Amino acid sequence: MVKIRINSFFNRNRKKEPKDKNISQLVKNIDENLQNIKTLLDEPADLAIRKFTVRGSNHQCAIVYIDGLVDGLYVRNNIIENIQLETEKKQLPDNKQKLFDELNQEILSTTSLQIGYTLDDVSNGILNGSTVLYLDGIDKVFIIKTQGWDKRDIQEPVTESLIRGPRDGFVEDLRTNMVLMRRYIHDPNLRFKTYQIGRRSKKSLVVAYIDDVIHPDILKEVKRRIESIDTDDAPESGFIEQWIEDNYLSPFPQIMNTERPDKASAALMQGKVVIMLDGSPFVLIAPSTLGSAMQSPEDYYERWTIGTLLRVLRYLGAFIAIFLPSLYIALVSFHPGMIPTNLAFSIAASREGVPFTPLIEAFLMAVTMELLREAGARLPKTIGQTIGIVGGLVIGDAAVQAGIVSPIMVIVVALNAIASFALPAYSLAIAFRIILFGFIFLAGTFGLYGIIIGYIIVNIHIVNLKSIGVPYTTPFAPTFFKDWEDLIFRKPVPQLTKRPVYMETKDKQKVDKETR
Amino acid sequence: MKRFEYADEKISDKQILVAVPSFVIGIGILSLPQNIASVTTASDGWIPLLIGGVITVLITWSVAKLSASFPNQTFINYASTIVTRPIAIVLTLLFSILSTSITSLQVRQIADIAKHYLLKETPVEIISFTFLLLIIYAVAGSRIGLFRLNTMFLPFVLFVAVIVIVFNIQWFDPAFLLPTFETSFSGHIEGIKNSVLSYAGFTILWFYITIVKEPKKTPKMAAIGMCIPVVLYIFLYLTCILVFGNSVTSNLQYPTIELAKILEIPGGILERFESLFFVIWIMAIFNTTAMTFDIAVLALHSIFANTGKIKLIFIIGPIVYVTGMYPQDLVQVSIFGSFIGYSSVLYTVFVALLLFTIAKIRRVK
Repeated sequence: MVKIRINSFFNRNRKKEPKDKNISQLVKNIDENLQNIKTLLDEPADLAIRKFTVRGSNHQCAIVYIDGLVDGLYVRNNIIENIQLETEKKQLPDNKQKLFDELNQEILSTTSLQIGYTLDDVSNGILNGSTVLYLDGIDKVFIIKTQGWDKRDIQEPVTESLIRGPRDGFVEDLRTNMVLMRRYIHDPNLRFKTYQIGRRSKKSLVVAYIDDVIHPDILKEVKRRIESIDTDDAPESGFIEQWIEDNYLSPFPQIMNTERPDKASAALMQGKVVIMLDGSPFVLIAPSTLGSAMQSPEDYYERWTIGTLLRVLRYLGAFIAIFLPSLYIALVSFHPGMIPTNLAFSIAASREGVPFTPLIEAFLMAVTMELLREAGARLPKTIGQTIGIVGGLVIGDAAVQAGIVSPIMVIVVALNAIASFALPAYSLAIAFRIILFGFIFLAGTFGLYGIIIGYIIVNIHIVNLKSIGVPYTTPFAPTFFKDWEDLIFRKPVPQLTKRPVYMETKDKQKVDKETR
Repeated sequence: MKRFEYADEKISDKQILVAVPSFVIGIGILSLPQNIASVTTASDGWIPLLIGGVITVLITWSVAKLSASFPNQTFINYASTIVTRPIAIVLTLLFSILSTSITSLQVRQIADIAKHYLLKETPVEIISFTFLLLIIYAVAGSRIGLFRLNTMFLPFVLFVAVIVIVFNIQWFDPAFLLPTFETSFSGHIEGIKNSVLSYAGFTILWFYITIVKEPKKTPKMAAIGMCIPVVLYIFLYLTCILVFGNSVTSNLQYPTIELAKILEIPGGILERFESLFFVIWIMAIFNTTAMTFDIAVLALHSIFANTGKIKLIFIIGPIVYVTGMYPQDLVQVSIFGSFIGYSSVLYTVFVALLLFTIAKIRRVK
């Protein structure tokens, strides 16, 4: 940690006042400079070097960029054309330093321009998609932002589809994602803080927040954790999530991810932080609690009755996703007396000839279910349908016909799977499916007693869990009754006047009561 | 700007409001109607329950008041200022021993009841052991976690208790209420004694008030919290009497669970509600046991400050288990239970009186 800080400290110094000649300083000779950069990058095929003279003088200059990373049209129109055509109308100074300044001030018509002093600056710039402009006889270069590469169009998010709601989703390109956020929130207090992640990959990471809403302690903690990341590469925001989460042993996701800009902007409005990593369409929302993981943006887009009922349904789904198979096992193998008589008879009849105990039976079916899910997720979509049919047959019909499992167990496991996929957060659904297996074993060994023991264990775990310092079970416990109006039940939108109390936001009021 | 505070290791006085009933409601109520009914006639039991309740609320209030007047000081600290350090150490040690024995009693009793109602085949030793492991896991976590667990579980417990009362209304027979006011004076005294024993929950206040953020309103909150079990117990007792009558109630071992047994859920989706009732009640018992264990650890920790919390847990854990397994049958367990009950109430009252008087005499502020 300390080491990195010191390094970046030196870097900053070096950029301002290039004193240390040994650190691959640029030289005045343009050919030597070009040779240096070629050697550094080992003359890759996509390295474009174009040498030409500044029109109206005999000064050599060169532009260097990586083909494909830059917007070719932009380079031609705003750099090359200007140097070759604009210069004609002007009386160019003969002094090289003056020419350099003239280029800087008047000739180059680009929006973003930096001056680089070292080979490092040059290579970083080039690899970032900038174009570097050398001028012979000057040991400085222009690093001109010309990024322009092929990127995916904004599409509807695949993992989080809504019936009603905006259809745009985040893409891999960080800039586009930032633009999306800006378009959702036109607040001057919306802040983007940029970091560089990965010693080798050098990816940009942006922490977005609304400055006069977020609690400063949360922001400080998030920044501290992001600065502590020390990795050579971060291909996906999942890496960031795993670096900064509070408890990496927990099955519960302590940081939510989303592909939806509307969800991200709603989180910002609640005083949370959104972390965007270049190259990942999934942005992270932190801190996040169990209650917020059970919510979907659509709860707010439809009217409050629907929103509320959907949430109640989802909590019911969570209950089924965790408990149904274990309850079935406990009732059938330990407490058959609890099942109503008629149902008990039909269960007994359907279990006739099944060779396994309910525990083994449920375990087999649950594992099959997981295999099907995994296979369905990995396979190309065209083959995915085959899996559906085969799986449906294997799980449903054939297994029952063969007398390996009872039909009721098939219903139980199927209902359980459906319920777990009805949850809006996939990472949470997976966590539930992990605990499910624990519950199956507890129910198989201790019956209902085992289930309640398991329930208490899970509760002990989550009350001790935190997300960026915010207790995971907020606002259930610690209790904030004010926040319950947007928890399981959702009040009508005009009555949701407050930001979440548990986030302790600076600006507490969403709606100005007096103007209403 | 306020610091981000509620996530810290401090609790609010509302959490005391929840912790007190969570601590009191536990195994006691399962057999309480029997204890009361056997010494009173007809429905007179509500009188000793109420009087006992008032006494307990008063004790709770005064214990809370005393602890709250030393904000952010541990029991051993303010006891030392009042009655010199050696005596304070002895008092704390006794609290630890007492809490350890209560824990072992709970661990044993829950296993007995679970075996009776849920797991006929599983040995008591195994059931106790799993429960003890659960308790250890809970106590090994943060202390504030225990308070959050109280908040998470108490609503379920109260809800299932209300269900038991409401769905039994159809079996109510008002004739069981009569004749009223025929209990002898000694019967009432006995009843009050039994009820105070079952309400005994003030021990936690000695130790937990020190971690309350602003303990100004805490005595009031603790008293209100204490009212919850009093009201609940009176209602459950009356339901038992209204459904079973006095003579049946006084012969049932766990009348409250039996109440759940005769309950019928409309729609008939589940039979034998008593299993479910007890399963939910395990949450209540868990809260009680976890907090007693935690107090045993906390008390010991305040004496041996250099020994780690986890180490203390693993020292106390086996002792709890062995003590809990020592009684051979239900009779011995109940003897052990009443011994623990008496000593815990008497000891708390003794400590309260001792500290109060000496604090007054020596004018310690």
